[in-house]
Amino acid sequence: MQTRDWDQMDDEAFRLEVRKFFQQQFPEHLRYPPHHLSWAQTKDWYKKLYAQGWAAPAWPKEWGGMGLNGSKMLIFIEEQERHGVARTPDMGIILLGPLLIRFGNEEQKKEILPSTLSGDFIWCQGYSEPNAGSDLAGLKTEAVLDGDEYVINGSKIWTSYAMDATHMFILVRTDKAAKKQEGISFLMLRMDTPGITVRPIKNLLGVEVFAQVFLDNVRTPARWLVGKPNQGWTMAKALLGFERISIGSPKLAQAGLEKLEQVARQQGLMKDPAFVDRYNQLRLDVADLGSTYGRFAEIVKRGGTLGPDVSMLKILATETYQRLTELTLEAAGDAGGLAGKVDFNGMPIDILSPFYMARPSTIYGGSNEIQRNILSKNVLNLPG
Amino acid sequence: MSQEDTNQMLRDAVGGFAARDTSIARVRALRETDPGFDRAVWKKIADAGWTGILVPEKFGGAGLSLPEMAAVLEEFAKTLSPEPLNAVSSLAALTLSGGDNEALQARLLPQIAAGDLIAAVAWQESESGIDPAAIETTAKEAAGGYALSGSKRFAVPFGADAYLVSAKGQGGVIVACVDKSAKGLTVDSELRADGTRVARLKLDNVQVAKADIVASAGAGARALGQAIDQTTILAGAELLGVMSRALEITLDYMRTRVQFDRPIGSFQALQHRAVDLFIQKELSFSVLRDAHIHLAQDADALALWASRVKSRCSEAGMRIGRESIQIHGGIGFTDECDIGLYLKRAMVLSAWLGNGAVHRRRYAALAPALEAA
Repeated sequence: MQTRDWDQMDDEAFRLEVRKFFQQQFPEHLRYPPHHLSWAQTKDWYKKLYAQGWAAPAWPKEWGGMGLNGSKMLIFIEEQERHGVARTPDMGIILLGPLLIRFGNEEQKKEILPSTLSGDFIWCQGYSEPNAGSDLAGLKTEAVLDGDEYVINGSKIWTSYAMDATHMFILVRTDKAAKKQEGISFLMLRMDTPGITVRPIKNLLGVEVFAQVFLDNVRTPARWLVGKPNQGWTMAKALLGFERISIGSPKLAQAGLEKLEQVARQQGLMKDPAFVDRYNQLRLDVADLGSTYGRFAEIVKRGGTLGPDVSMLKILATETYQRLTELTLEAAGDAGGLAGKVDFNGMPIDILSPFYMARPSTIYGGSNEIQRNILSKNVLNLPG
Repeated sequence: MSQEDTNQMLRDAVGGFAARDTSIARVRALRETDPGFDRAVWKKIADAGWTGILVPEKFGGAGLSLPEMAAVLEEFAKTLSPEPLNAVSSLAALTLSGGDNEALQARLLPQIAAGDLIAAVAWQESESGIDPAAIETTAKEAAGGYALSGSKRFAVPFGADAYLVSAKGQGGVIVACVDKSAKGLTVDSELRADGTRVARLKLDNVQVAKADIVASAGAGARALGQAIDQTTILAGAELLGVMSRALEITLDYMRTRVQFDRPIGSFQALQHRAVDLFIQKELSFSVLRDAHIHLAQDADALALWASRVKSRCSEAGMRIGRESIQIHGGIGFTDECDIGLYLKRAMVLSAWLGNGAVHRRRYAALAPALEAA
C-alpha cells in the first residue's frame, strides 16, 4: 500500500495520475453501468483500489485513507465520473467511515475502520422507513437497552446493497418522549444477527438494488452505539454537505446531452427547428449548471464550508438530467418504447435506462421538494 | 487592491448615488418625457467616474475592464434610473476605442468620460437582427469623406448629441460619427416599454468628413462586434440587478402580505415558486461570474460568452418579472405598484441587443461541437 503526501502534489499532476490509473485499471465492461453494481461485480476492482491505497480517498491517512483535501477530492470524483467508474457498495467508505472518524470512540475506530477499508465489512444504510421518508425524523424503528445489548424492532426500506451487506448502520428511536429529532440514536449491527429478514425490491429497471429490511428482536452490542444516546440525528445531518455537491456534478448531464445528440442525429432531428430550439436550451442549461457547480467547487477547494444554498445544485443537476432523458425518449420516437439496447441504423443505444435512472435522483438524498423547503426557509427566509 | 475590493467599493458608491441622487419617484416622473432622462443626473454619474470606467486612462478614463463596469451596472440597474449608462459608456465608448481613428478617440473619449458628450451607436436596422454586418445603409466615398444614406433603429439613447452610425462602404462596414444636427439627418423616437426612448434615424446623403470616421472599412465590423458583445454581457449584469431587486421586493411582499390569517410566504406552493425564481437568478449570477473568469484568460471566446450570458439573463429576468406580478396578485398589475416597473425594465433589457431566443440560436451556432467539449 502506498502512503503518499498528496498535498505536496499540484492539482493537475494529481488529476493526470488519477486519470491514468482509472484508464489503465478499471475494467472496460463495467464503465458507465446502467444501474448500481453488486459486490460480486465490483469486488475485483475494489481490491485493486485497496491495494493501490485508494479505497478511501476522503479518509485521513492514519486510517488508511488518501487524506485528500477538498480540491483533490473533487478531482478524484470528477475523474471517476469522466471515465465512468462504477460505484462499489461504498456506504461504509463514504458515509460510515467519516462519521466514525468524527464521532466514534477509539475502540470503534479500531474494530470497524480497517475491516471496512479492506472490504471485509460491507455496509448498508438503515435510515428511511416505510412511514418515514421525507419526514425521516419521524422514524419508528425502536432500540431498547437490555443489559449490554440493544434490542431493535422495526423495519427499514430503500436500503441499497442490503443483499451484499455484512453490516448495517442504522438510525433508531431510543427516546419516545423527546422531540422527534432528539430521540434518535446511531447504532451498528451485523446483518447475520438472528431476527433480520431482507426482502429485495425490484425497481423500475427490473433490477434489485435496494431492499426492505425487517428487524425482529435484533440484538447488537451496546458498544456499537456511536456517539451518545439520542444524538444520532445531529451526527447524520452533519455529513450531508459533501454529498450534495457530488450529486450536483454536471458530468451526468453532460453525458446525457451526448446521448441525446446521438439519438437526434440518427433520427434526423437536427434539421427540425422546433427540436433544435429545445435541444439548444438544454445545452445552455447544462453549461450554466457547470458554471454553478464551479462556484460551489471553488468554495470546497478553498477549504470553505458549503451553506444551505448548495441544495440548488442538487435541484439543478437532477432536473436538468431528467429533462435530457425525457427529450431523448421523445427524440427516439417509436423506439422510445423499446427496452434495452435499441438499434439506431446499426448503432445500439439504451434509451430507457437513463430515463429510469433519472427518476429517483429527484427523490433520494432529500427529495427536490425537501431541497426547495430548505432553500425557502434557510436561504430566502420565508416564514415556516 | 484586489478586484473584489475594487468592485465592492464601486458597488458602495452606486449605493450612495441610489440613496442621494435618484428615486423611484424620479424614475416615474421621467417616463415618456423627452428625451426620457436627466442631463443633470448624468453629470453626477460622470462625476462619480462611471462614464469613464471603460475609457482608457490616456483619454481621461479609469481604464478598467468588464468586471468593474458590470459591478456598477448591476447596482445602477437596481435603481431603474433611465440614464443610458451602458449604451453610452460601454457601447459607444468601446466602439470608439475599438476603431482606428486615434485623433477622434482623443477628441471624443474624454468628453464621454466627463459626461459632456452623449453618443448613441446606431448599428441596427429594421430587419438586421444582431448581425452588425447585415445592413443596408450605404457609405459612398465623397469629397474628403463619405455620404451616408439609409435608416437606423433601436439606437440608445434618443436625444444623443452624436450618433455613431454603421454603413456599408467599399470593402466593408464603416462607423461614422454624425452630429445630431447634421444636414440630411432626421431623428425620431420610439417609446419603449419602460417609458424611455430609442432613436430612429433617417440618413439622406449625410456628409461625414474623414476626420469623423470612427472605424474604417478594415476595422468597423470588428470594432462593432466586440463593443456589442461586451455591452451584451454588461446588459446581462443590468438584468441581474433588476431581477435581484424584483425578487427581493417580491420576497418582502410574501413575508408581509397576510391571507387566510398567515403570511402568503408560508404557503408551500408560493415558496417553491420563489425558490425556482431564486435559482434562475443564481444561474444568471453563475454564468456572468464564469464569463468574467474565462474572458480574462481567453478573449477570443467573447461572442460565445456574450450569448450564454444574454440568453440566461434575458430569460431569467423576464420570468422573475412576470412571476413577481403573479405573486403580488391584483396590486401587481397596477401602475402604482413598483414591481411593474421592474418587469418593464426587464422587458426592455431582454429585447435590447438580442433577446434570449436570438442568443440561444447564436450560442448553438458558435459553441464547439459536443465531442470537443
